[in-house]
Amino acid sequence: MTTRIVAVALLAWGLVTAAASPAAHEPQDLQTLIDDAAPGAVLDLAAGTYRGGITIDKPITVRSDGAAIIDGGGDDTVITIEAPDVTLEGLVVRGSGDTLDREDSGIYVKAPRARIVDNRLDDVLFGIFLHQAPDSVVEGNIIGAKDVFVARRGDGIRLWESHRSVVANNVVDGGRDAVFWFCDDLEIRGNRISNGRYGLHFMYSDRALVEANALVDNSVGSFLMYSKDLVLRRNLISGNNGPSGYGVGLKDMDGALLEDNLLVGNRVGVFLDNSPQTVGIEQWFRGNLFAYNQIGALFLPSVEHNVFWENSFVDNTVQVTVQGGGRFSGNEWSKDGIGNHWSDYAGYDADGDGIGDVPYRLDDLYDHLLDRNPEIMLFSETPAARALDLAARAFPVIKPRPKVEDPAPLISPPAPPEPPFDLGVRPSAALLVGSLTMEAFAATIVLSTRRRRSLG
Amino acid sequence: MIHIEELTKRYGSLTVLDRFSLDVAEAEAVALWGPNGAGKTTVVRCILGLAGYEGTVHVGGLDAASRGKAVRSHIGYVAQELSFYDDMAVVDVLDFSASLRRIDTGRVDELIDTFRLGDHRRKRIAELSGGLKQRLALASALIPDPPILLLDEPTSSLDAHSREEAIELFEHLRDEGRTILLTTHHMEEMGMLVDRVVAMESGRIVTECAPAELADQLGLRVWLHILLDADSTAKARAALAADGFDARLNAAGIVVEVPAQRKGEALKVLYRAGVEIEDLEVWS
Amino acid sequence: MTATATKPTTGRSLPDLPERAQWRATLAIAHKELDDAVRSRWFWMWAIAFALLAGVLASVALPGSRIAGSASFGRTAASLVALVQVIVPLMGLTLGAQSIAAQRESGALRFLLSHPVNRTEAFWGFHLGLSAALLAAASAGFGAAGIVTAIRSGGAQAGAFLRITLLAWILVIAMLGVGMFISAFTRRASSALGVAVFVWLAFVFLGDLGLMGTAVATRMPVDALFFATVANPIEAFRLAALGSFVGSLDILGPAGTYAVDALGPALMPVIVGVLVLWMILPSVGAWIRFRTSKDV
Repeated sequence: MTTRIVAVALLAWGLVTAAASPAAHEPQDLQTLIDDAAPGAVLDLAAGTYRGGITIDKPITVRSDGAAIIDGGGDDTVITIEAPDVTLEGLVVRGSGDTLDREDSGIYVKAPRARIVDNRLDDVLFGIFLHQAPDSVVEGNIIGAKDVFVARRGDGIRLWESHRSVVANNVVDGGRDAVFWFCDDLEIRGNRISNGRYGLHFMYSDRALVEANALVDNSVGSFLMYSKDLVLRRNLISGNNGPSGYGVGLKDMDGALLEDNLLVGNRVGVFLDNSPQTVGIEQWFRGNLFAYNQIGALFLPSVEHNVFWENSFVDNTVQVTVQGGGRFSGNEWSKDGIGNHWSDYAGYDADGDGIGDVPYRLDDLYDHLLDRNPEIMLFSETPAARALDLAARAFPVIKPRPKVEDPAPLISPPAPPEPPFDLGVRPSAALLVGSLTMEAFAATIVLSTRRRRSLG
Repeated sequence: MIHIEELTKRYGSLTVLDRFSLDVAEAEAVALWGPNGAGKTTVVRCILGLAGYEGTVHVGGLDAASRGKAVRSHIGYVAQELSFYDDMAVVDVLDFSASLRRIDTGRVDELIDTFRLGDHRRKRIAELSGGLKQRLALASALIPDPPILLLDEPTSSLDAHSREEAIELFEHLRDEGRTILLTTHHMEEMGMLVDRVVAMESGRIVTECAPAELADQLGLRVWLHILLDADSTAKARAALAADGFDARLNAAGIVVEVPAQRKGEALKVLYRAGVEIEDLEVWS
Repeated sequence: MTATATKPTTGRSLPDLPERAQWRATLAIAHKELDDAVRSRWFWMWAIAFALLAGVLASVALPGSRIAGSASFGRTAASLVALVQVIVPLMGLTLGAQSIAAQRESGALRFLLSHPVNRTEAFWGFHLGLSAALLAAASAGFGAAGIVTAIRSGGAQAGAFLRITLLAWILVIAMLGVGMFISAFTRRASSALGVAVFVWLAFVFLGDLGLMGTAVATRMPVDALFFATVANPIEAFRLAALGSFVGSLDILGPAGTYAVDALGPALMPVIVGVLVLWMILPSVGAWIRFRTSKDV
């Protein structure tokens, strides 16, 4: 119904525009419109399809309310911005080329202070590419990738030397990464990035604030590399199960703060490789929920100076581990007498202060064996592996040295952070129908036995 | 109808049947008689394909080894142990049996009436008495209206009254022209029923004859326990001894060993000698 | 007392019944087995216990579902797989082990085989009837878990859930076959049950523990470790199920990575193939044994 009203409204509006502009049946050449416009002009595009390959070389605003389609026809970049202070708003941009080394993009910005707002990009190799475009805003765009093999995809959002930009409330699906090269002081907020390679990928980008994003079903949720002082807060990072499959990976990072993130159902919640890399720097992990991951936190050997407190580690297959085995020496599992919540904590709290009276120790026999014999990971979560731990607990002949010792474990989990998006409960009709069919099948079999005459 | 030749059955080193041969003609009733362990039941099981064997078994011209299904379709069988499905109800067992023979349930209802199982239709097998189980077994065996009946100790779990009734039924079935092969160790009950007795021991046939001749054939002897006036015992013993009987003293009378078929002769001797007999028991 | 309503059949020529196995008899026996199974206490015990556990598992995995539906589905699936791994084989093995041996011991088998049915019909009748009972019990459990999951946590992975159900079906029939194999070789129902419980222990615990021990003690090569593990039907089920809801086995450390690299796209077919072989071979072995051992 709503759709129909909108359609009628659009049609009416189109007719009015047509009356005003005789050439509206065949929309005018957009490039000509731009060339004719004065700097500072606002071009309200009529509904219709415009040919792509546009270059904007003066500070103007080009906008529509989603009815103007700029189609690149599958060749090259659709819109290139070469002047500062250009705004693109409410456009549909589609059909870029597919050549990776030419960086074929939907919107390619080469000048500062661009505002790319509420556009919809489809079938583009790179979506929005900011190249030396500091102080820009990329907000509210919906970006869909070309449907090609993953190695041939481009990045949905790519920023290069574009400091102080804001990337907010975009929806990116498919594609490679949302990647930030040499961009300091970014603000990345409220984006939803799914089904890509690295959801958010930071390279040499310092002091970014990454808040309330949803990074779901990518190969890696967020890969942070060679950057300093990033803050990740209140992000939902879930179902990132690619070959490396990190919720958040940190490589050669310094001073990262991960706070109140939801790291749920990833292959690895947090992966730490040589981070922090500088002596004397600490990294902080506070208030995060690590749940249902294969591994809650995975450290490479000799990673030190990470501090974890007020986090919840809930039902991760392996709560925390060091790759190749070993202990987490040099990292802290509590701060100022407050540790983390561990779903497998078996201690007690007699004095009722909310803090367990015995330290949490990660000293499973299976886990311990796993360190030295990673091939027995094949048996993780089997009844046999559990039996092994139970037996080791009942008959503590072999007492492995604990690899984690949290001196002040929290008895109850801190309230989970509010998710930035309600992914919502989507009842699955298919599963429901399937399950009901199964029950009906079971009932049919049972009822088919009621034919005996002794029952009649 | 049933043709058995050189039937041999071994369990490991134990030979249960040793080159056993037997022919049962159509409409003939034959009893296999012998002590426990003689191999009677094994013969029946071999015919039904419930046991492997060496030798030949033909039923109605069909080889029991290769045509087991066809052979069994002509046979009604009452097993000695009367095992069915303990948790099933009477009517369900019969229905199941009928369904395996592709016979509809009308026949089952008929047999339930015939064998007066109506009050027990819904009882679990496990709750049935031996006599009821026996009736159920017969009902089940008669579902296909079989030309051949194999009855393995069919009266063993019956009381005296039911036993009489069962034998009457068997006679009726025989008179209808069915071929009957049964096993028993109560020959005296089956005497009127069968045309021929095959006596077995240790897997071999000892003798074959008409039922009336069996005791003679086997040289069977019984003991008459004769209760007498204490004064007559000496006279009685003397008279019996004179006629070649072995008579010994017993607390309340005398015990005389006689051939099973000639019990009357000893009594005649006593009668002639004027000995008054107070009471009489036969020990076998 | 008149035994027969019709005139007896002395003169008639005997009908010629084909000796080959016939569906009709097989189905009649299957139906009887199924009836008995459904009327027995164990069936309801298993079915209800399994459905309850599965439903509870699906519910307890749900607190996280508002945060990440599919992630908590992974948790549901993992718990369900662990549950299936323990319970379903025990159901199949004990039921199968009881089947032939108990009937033989009670003499009921003799009653059955004195009818015009052959061993093949009887065996596959048992198999079919018990399979149907087991599938009903398993489906009821999976259905319960599925309904809870579908309503409360969404099911981006409906397909994965249904695939796991299918694998559990194969597993339960495989275990039934193993149980019947034990039964075909055992005279007493109680010893068949004992062997079945031992086999269950071996499949669920001892096999894995042995392989873990061997791997730890001897640095067993990963290929040998992987194939020795997959040879265990319960492990084949677990790995196939894991593959269908995680998507890949390289989460299972070096042995998993090895398998993914070495077998590539053939990995899942190989694992499922092992499971299918377990479904077929013990059953066929039991059938051959049952058919050729003449003495009942």
